[in-house]
Amino acid sequence: MSCGLYAYAITRDRLADLAGPWLISYQGLALVVAEVDLDRFTGIEADEPAEDGPLAVLVREHDAVVRAVFQHEPVLPLRFGTVLDGADAALRLLRARHEEALAWLDRVEGRREWGVRVRAAAEPEPVDLDSVSGTGYLALRRQRLTAAEDARRSAEAVHQALTRRAADSTCRDHASDLLLEAAYLVDTENEDDFHAEIGRLAGELGQPVEITGPWPPYSFTNVEFADA
Amino acid sequence: MDNRPSSLADTLERVLDKGVVIVGDITVSVVDIELLTLRVRLFIASAQTAREMGMDWWTNDPFFTPKAVNRATEVNELEQQNTELRDRVAALERTLEEKRP
Repeated sequence: MSCGLYAYAITRDRLADLAGPWLISYQGLALVVAEVDLDRFTGIEADEPAEDGPLAVLVREHDAVVRAVFQHEPVLPLRFGTVLDGADAALRLLRARHEEALAWLDRVEGRREWGVRVRAAAEPEPVDLDSVSGTGYLALRRQRLTAAEDARRSAEAVHQALTRRAADSTCRDHASDLLLEAAYLVDTENEDDFHAEIGRLAGELGQPVEITGPWPPYSFTNVEFADA
Repeated sequence: MDNRPSSLADTLERVLDKGVVIVGDITVSVVDIELLTLRVRLFIASAQTAREMGMDWWTNDPFFTPKAVNRATEVNELEQQNTELRDRVAALERTLEEKRP
């Protein structure tokens, strides 16, 4: 068995017991780490992801540790599969990125991420070509194109309205059957307001709006840290 | 509004594709993250197409979904119409050829 120092997250150095993972601290900053069996990661990129597969287990473990920290302290989640070359390397990193990491922690403190998704309406029934005239068909086609364009605009309006109630927002690339796939970083004291707004917008939209969360600020910590 | 526990696809997307990236020689490479992300993106895309995380594999199976049968019949009908139209065009072209002086 080959072991390595797996790093889950960066946080402030004032966290109590995490039942397993521990902290490597440097001047108010800490890296959440644990000794892991690296064999568990071998060949994982070759497996097909599955609900109960080895990747799912590891990813959920990673998420669970990040969430455990997030319950008490602001957190910068690290990308899955970050293994450090020992405790010295961890300290080097914390020293080199001290100011920057603290600034990022300030930025996400007191805020949680919410995912919002709006699906496109189901495909309309195919036209029975025998029962419509040529003009009738063209009119119907125009009507459907307009409806699709309206739906896209409404989703954009939803995004703008939610962005106004969030500290930060980001749109993800999405499949064509989605009108909106976005994440919002919301102040905890504004969450009620944010959810009420989603309810209102969903009513206006006449379509279900799916919400995921609360998440640790995964989508709002896209930064690269090096030790130098 | 629909607030359910986070699906694997949502968790994978965040844990693998987001968050702080540590670079440099302080890290040990244990997993080809790019390849993994690529695979996971494909997985997520297919999970989105299947509305409920691979729970609706039957929707295109005529045995389970009469609508899929309809679609199959529609295609057959179109093919048939197509053949008929081709035949008629060929017949008309022949007639034109014959009438040409």
